[in-house]
Amino acid sequence: MKKVAYYKGCLASLSAKELDSATQALAPKVGLELIELESVTCCGAGDIHEAEPDYYLHINARILAYASAQGVDTLMTVCNVCTLNLRQANWQLKIDSELRARVNENLVAVGAPPYERDVEVRHFLWEIAEGEGYELLQKVAHKGLKGLKIAPFYGCQILRPSKIQGFEDPDRPWSLERIITACGGEPVDYPAKIKCCGFPIIQAREDVALGELIQPIQQAYEAGADCIVTPCPLCHLSLDAWQSKLKKQTGQDFKMPILHLAQLVGVAAGLADSELKFKRHVVSVKPFIEKLGI
Amino acid sequence: MKVALKIWRYDSSTGQRALKEYEIDAPEEATLLDCLDIVKDKRDGSLSYRKSCRMMICGSCGMRMDGAAVLACKTGMYDIAQAGKIPVISAMGNLPIVKDLVVDMASFWEKMRSVEPWLQPGLDAATGKENIVSQAQMATVHKESLCINCGCCVSECNSLESDPDFTGPAALAKAMRFVGDPRDGNAIERLEKLSGQHGIWDCTRCYFCQERCPKGVDPRDAIAKLGAEAMKFGIDSDMGARHAKWFVTSARTTGWLRETELVPKTQGIVKSIKETKFALDLARKGKVPPPFPPHVAKNQKEARLLYKLVKEQGVSGAAGIVQAEKALGRIEFVKEAEHAKHEGASK
Repeated sequence: MKKVAYYKGCLASLSAKELDSATQALAPKVGLELIELESVTCCGAGDIHEAEPDYYLHINARILAYASAQGVDTLMTVCNVCTLNLRQANWQLKIDSELRARVNENLVAVGAPPYERDVEVRHFLWEIAEGEGYELLQKVAHKGLKGLKIAPFYGCQILRPSKIQGFEDPDRPWSLERIITACGGEPVDYPAKIKCCGFPIIQAREDVALGELIQPIQQAYEAGADCIVTPCPLCHLSLDAWQSKLKKQTGQDFKMPILHLAQLVGVAAGLADSELKFKRHVVSVKPFIEKLGI
Repeated sequence: MKVALKIWRYDSSTGQRALKEYEIDAPEEATLLDCLDIVKDKRDGSLSYRKSCRMMICGSCGMRMDGAAVLACKTGMYDIAQAGKIPVISAMGNLPIVKDLVVDMASFWEKMRSVEPWLQPGLDAATGKENIVSQAQMATVHKESLCINCGCCVSECNSLESDPDFTGPAALAKAMRFVGDPRDGNAIERLEKLSGQHGIWDCTRCYFCQERCPKGVDPRDAIAKLGAEAMKFGIDSDMGARHAKWFVTSARTTGWLRETELVPKTQGIVKSIKETKFALDLARKGKVPPPFPPHVAKNQKEARLLYKLVKEQGVSGAAGIVQAEKALGRIEFVKEAEHAKHEGASK
């Protein structure tokens, strides 16, 4: 078992609890022992980075510090945006020792641990797309998806900026496809899989966001996908909850089930309903589950 | 070396479009631009593309290779040819094609002009002396000053694809070039204008601009700097700004995002009420967590005290993003050094 500090982020703690329960249930099967971080806050999404950038750096440093204090090497995330925020702050603190000294002094002043020993921030996707996680995944989820067509949707911030993320080629990513194949599904290819779901501006500029959101859903639909899978709960919320608004705009009801990555692998690995919590989805996952015959 | 290319040919006067393949002999050091020159010289003189300096400074030869915007003169072909790949070359996106690889840049320049990309001096000219600006002050706009107006960022912008009136990454980065210039006296007026519809808060943070920029301008970060400056001056009535502010409030009060209150805080009560049915549909699925009792992070007090401390230290507005540039600009070197160390150790 690889021990990792587990940072849930806001959505998996609140509106996307199904992501948390599926991740917690799946983790031991793919060789991960999760140590849940408690004394942590929101990473600030892109919002605090834009509104109060110095505060953004400090709250992320605090998350890194609490992860490091667990004595582990890896801080595991389950959200694209958390991953980018934490990795960006981590690069800053790793490279700029003067900045790190000021931040650490501030952390100590408020009673938090300083960020001393480096940790690496890795998304759950990366943990199961290679190495031991992938080896175990192949065993536990072998052929569970019975050849169904799965559309991978990466979203933006797990791929770009690649300088900060750097796990895979941002224009030709392979990790989700590899996992889908290992689970016995057939990955569907479509151009919008690396584009934006519109979520960051879905409240402030809904029309612009919906113009982005429709692309992956329509393209996956036209490619005959049985569902879309995403490693990001923000993409999930936008693709799942705002899908009904596309119907109003275009007259087309796609009824495209949207699965979190941990749920898709979880289905293939035989997790229980109570762990997958599909009832919490806005677009019904039933047609997908029925097609699998479970 | 042998180089094969597929080029999307297009003629807007006839509407004809065709993907044509060319194979040429090119020197090993040839760039994509050199290869296009050879195609035009030896194979088909009617091929159209823009070029001028051939050395990554004029910004003329922006185009797409395998769907990603590049400067043709910066793109070496050796590795691609050695790997036996046949890249597909096409015109940039988000701009109408005139012919082959030439796009109509009219909307690009119109947006550039709209941000008034010239200095509007705010210093007292009557002193009769030169106005000395420190290196540190100019560092605020150093990256933005590197822009060569090639349009690679605009080509890939996801917001622009959905809203053609979005000011876009190139013009917004240019706007930051002047908002952040200590000699400019119009920052507040500029920020007010940029905070409206199709401005700062229309950016969807897809980071394509940052990925594609061949000069390291990092337009997304420039837009974040504009947002941070706007907030610093209290220009925060746009829904995007209110959305961002609520994240700050959430982090320093409960620690976690107060999701349910985010909608009324962003959109205002009236618009939120219109969304009641949508919200109820979400609530039925547990997607609208009850705001009371609030979900408070353990040791949340630390986050509140940190906010106070950080505010007192005054690294405010764009400075908070500029302070990251020193480290983020060195990531590649650090990665290389780590790699070399690893290689050394394994030997």
